[in-house]
Amino acid sequence: MSEVASFVRGTWTIAVYTWREGMRKKILMAILIFSVLVIAGSNFMTSFLTQVTPVGEIDMQAKQMKDLCVTAISIFGVLITIFISASVVPSEVENKVIYTVLSKPVRRFQYLLGKFAGVQLIVILNLILMTALFFVALYLKERIMPTLLLWSTLLTYFEFLIVSAFTFALSCAATSAVLPTIAGLFIYITGNLTEYLKDVFAKSGQTELWIDKMIGYISLGLYQILPNLQNFSLKNQILYLASNDPPRDILLPNLIAYGLLYAVAGYVMAYWIFRRKEM
Amino acid sequence: MPAVIETQKLTKVYESSFRSQDVRALQDLDLTIDSGEIFGYLGPNGSGKTTTIKLLLGLIFPTSGTMRILGSDDIGAAAVKRRIGYLPEGAYYPDFLRGEEVLRFYGHLYGLGGSDLTRRIDKTIETVGMTGARKRMIRGYSKGMRQRIGLAQALLSDPDLLILDEPTTGLDPIARKEIRDILSNLRDQGKTLLISSHELLEVELISNRVGILYNGVLQTIGTVDELLTQRDVLIHITDPTGGLIAKLNTAGLHVEDATATKMVVRVPENLSVYDALEICRAEKATIQSIAPRRETLEELFVRVVGAAENKTLA
Ligand SMILES: Nc1ncnc2c1ncn2[C@@H]1O[C@H](COP(=O)(O)OP(=O)(O)OP(=O)(O)O)[C@@H](O)[C@H]1O
Ligand SMILES: [Mg+2]
Repeated sequence: MSEVASFVRGTWTIAVYTWREGMRKKILMAILIFSVLVIAGSNFMTSFLTQVTPVGEIDMQAKQMKDLCVTAISIFGVLITIFISASVVPSEVENKVIYTVLSKPVRRFQYLLGKFAGVQLIVILNLILMTALFFVALYLKERIMPTLLLWSTLLTYFEFLIVSAFTFALSCAATSAVLPTIAGLFIYITGNLTEYLKDVFAKSGQTELWIDKMIGYISLGLYQILPNLQNFSLKNQILYLASNDPPRDILLPNLIAYGLLYAVAGYVMAYWIFRRKEM
Repeated sequence: MPAVIETQKLTKVYESSFRSQDVRALQDLDLTIDSGEIFGYLGPNGSGKTTTIKLLLGLIFPTSGTMRILGSDDIGAAAVKRRIGYLPEGAYYPDFLRGEEVLRFYGHLYGLGGSDLTRRIDKTIETVGMTGARKRMIRGYSKGMRQRIGLAQALLSDPDLLILDEPTTGLDPIARKEIRDILSNLRDQGKTLLISSHELLEVELISNRVGILYNGVLQTIGTVDELLTQRDVLIHITDPTGGLIAKLNTAGLHVEDATATKMVVRVPENLSVYDALEICRAEKATIQSIAPRRETLEELFVRVVGAAENKTLA
């Protein structure tokens, strides 16, 4: 077998095994089941919510349902992403399975790539499952193919990929999943608030106080380092456009390249940490 | 023939946030293990055996010193690791898999597959005596069963070098015997084995060389025959008379297992057996047998570790 083929095969073996193990985590299953319930029940819930509103508010109802589903997918999706990215490596170090795996003809780089790919399999699978449900629910409601959702899911995935890569990197330095989980949430939240950071910088410097300036520069620094995760959200378009419209005003290839770039940076960081990690 | 394992001044310090709490787990280890050797790596708890093994496998990194394995100094290289089988200490295996699935997983990591892998899995499962439990989940395995599966994954690729960290811990006497037979079998096939163990009797039975580590420092190393030279002579006696013991003791001889009807006189290497026999004859005791007795590995271990301990205390 050629070197490349054996590299791919070894990586794939680890990825599939990571996926199989990850899907067994109870907390992940709980989040997934909960999100399925929310999405599947959204139709029912929103009609219940709008009972008090005047008749003829079908539009309003659909909008509320979309809002609920989009929010559910991003929140539950990101929770799954962060949790699984933060735990695959520390849990394997803790239970020492990593000793036997790394003593096989597997390079650390390859091991890490396999783990990361396994995490992506889990994230993608969950995302597909949730989107499919939303897709069906929306189709049943509006009787048009909600193709805009598919674009939205694609972009959401790249958003998750960035969060996943950095959480994963931090998990390589940690001994348990707790700190990287918290850090992952921090990345996700601040990554969604970068516009706000820019505002902070713009408004700073109005007084001559050094602390005011310092906060301004920290905000600017964060703004420049952190990925702007808002770019990946099509929520407003989903709410206000027809469900079968193509997405507007976004450069899809650029966004994907942007997402990949950050993800690669995260992975490189992970490898840099993991390369000399002592087991 | 080139050495299979070769370390020079291998040193490992586990650093902590306070320098005073750094652990010097291994100090200037010079160890050479040649092809075909069964090396018994001994030492009390915390002496640095596992540390050495982890260094050799690239799981941790040396503070200083060098090592070569199977002729290569690239410890992480896949080509080297392909020829190594490793059984970690008290390891744990993916417990959501069945016994045979775990082996398939590890087999894939070795780049094995297809009917070749299936054949190897059948064979190793047979070797470690897990045929009955191969389809059961690892989660439900007993400690000994896990240890057997661990041994199976180490043997799977038919490696040239086997590194086994406490292979018989947690096993029942019959399983121990079985494992010992597997290991001697491997020795007969010309494999090289590095076995860390606390089971001195076992090591004495299968190893041809041993090293004793204490506090990260290799205290003694050599072939079993070289090291276990101290030969006492035991004289078995029946019908001892009352004054015999006192006389023997004044001559500096130890009396063991004394009862009213028989006893054993131990003559240390530095004393004359003739003198001892003379005393016995004078006291009209019946001599049943006279046999040389080699020091056991356990005695050597206690002696070496005791001496090292005194040296550090002094
Ligand atoms: N990760 C670590 N961090 C700090 N100290 C460590 C670490 N691992 C081992 N040590 C220390 O290094 C020393 C050697 O430990 P090691 O595990 O190599 O001993 P061992 O000979 O295998 O003992 P045992 O027979 O109990 O398995 C011990 O003092 C131990 O406390
Ligand atoms: Mg040990």
